[in-house]
Amino acid sequence: MNSCDKCGNPNIIIKKKQSGQKLCKDCFIKSTQNKVLKDIHKYGLLEKGDKVLLGLSGGKDSVMLLDILNSLKKRNIIDLIAVTIDEGICGYREEGIEIAARNAKKLGVEHRVVAFKEYFGMTLDDIISKNNVKEGRRNACTYCGVFRRWIFNRVARDEGATKIATGHNLDDETQSIVMNYLEGNIQNLTRIGVKSETRSNKFTVKIKPLREIPEKEIALYVVARELDVHFAGCPYASESFRAEVGSFIKEMSKEHPTIMYSTLRGFDKMKPVLKKEFSQESIVGVCENCGEPTGARLCKACTFFKDWETD
Amino acid sequence: MKIKLIIGEKEELIEISENKTVKNLLDIVDIASETVVVKKNDCIVIDEELVEDGDLIEIIQVIYGG
Repeated sequence: MNSCDKCGNPNIIIKKKQSGQKLCKDCFIKSTQNKVLKDIHKYGLLEKGDKVLLGLSGGKDSVMLLDILNSLKKRNIIDLIAVTIDEGICGYREEGIEIAARNAKKLGVEHRVVAFKEYFGMTLDDIISKNNVKEGRRNACTYCGVFRRWIFNRVARDEGATKIATGHNLDDETQSIVMNYLEGNIQNLTRIGVKSETRSNKFTVKIKPLREIPEKEIALYVVARELDVHFAGCPYASESFRAEVGSFIKEMSKEHPTIMYSTLRGFDKMKPVLKKEFSQESIVGVCENCGEPTGARLCKACTFFKDWETD
Repeated sequence: MKIKLIIGEKEELIEISENKTVKNLLDIVDIASETVVVKKNDCIVIDEELVEDGDLIEIIQVIYGG
C-alpha cells in the first residue's frame, strides 16, 4: 500500500529508492527542512549571529537554500545577504538573475548582483571566445569556478559576511570526489567537505548545507513548495568532465540507489588520512596583483590574466 | 484513452493504451524519470501512478546536464 510512512496520507509524492521511505507532500517538505537544519547543527555550519552570504543563482539548489536559511533569519539566528553572480552568459544568465531577485524580494532578503564584467572587465562569453582556438585551453567551468570563488570571497569581505553558503548537493559533491580521484587530484580531494577549513582570515568560511540532499529531492522540494526557480542548464556545462562523471554516477545509481551516499560516507572517513598525508600547508600570503589571499605570488584568477597577456 | 500532456511549453492530446503508469508514459516519450517531476491533474505523483482517461499530465524538466 502506497501511503505516507509518517501520516498515512495516500497521496505520496516520493518513494525513496535508497531507503524505501514514502512521503506525502507536507511530510516530504518538513522532513527535508529538518534534515538540512539537523545537518547545519551536526556539522556546526552556523553560529548565532553569523552573517551569511548566500550564492543565489536562481536555480533550484540556491532557491531551496534561501528558503531554509530564511527560516533562521526570521528567527533572528543569522543575518542573510543573497549575492547573484552575473558571469555574462548570453541567453542563459539573464532569466536566472530576474528569478533570484524576485525570490529575495519576496522574502525581504537583501540582494546584490555582481558581474564578471565589473570585476574583471570581461564576461565569461568573452573569456571563452578569447580562448577558443588556443592550445591548452581549459573548459569554461574551470575559469568560471576560479572567478566565482574570487568574487564571492571579495564580496563576503566587503559585506562583513562570516560564512559563504552555497547550494552544492549530494550529486555535486559525489561528482567532485569521483572526478578528482579519477584525475589523481589528491590535493583537491583534501579540500572537499561540508565546511572549509580556512588557512587565512582573508578567506571566508564556506559551507554546504545541502551536501547530503540528492539533486532530485531538491527539485521535488522546489516544485512541492511552488518556489520560483530557473530550470535551465548552463550552455557550457555539457562540455565539462564533471558532466561526464555526473552521467556515469546517475546511470550507476539506477541499479545501486545508495551509491552516492556510500561514496560520500566512504570519502568522509578517508579524508582525515588524506589530509594528514597529502595536505600542503602553504603559507597564505596575498596576491601581489589583486590583494586576495593565495599561497603563491599571484592568485589563480590573476594567473589566468597574466597568461592571456603574454599569449 | 486520451490524455493531455504538457512538456515545457508544448501541450498536446495523445492517445495511449489502458493501464499505463507514469513511468510507462515517460518511456513512451523518451524522457528519463530521474530528470523530471511529474504532476497528474496538478498534483505531484510517483512513477508508479496509473494514468487514466482524461488526465492532465505535466512533465517538468528539473535536471539538466550531468
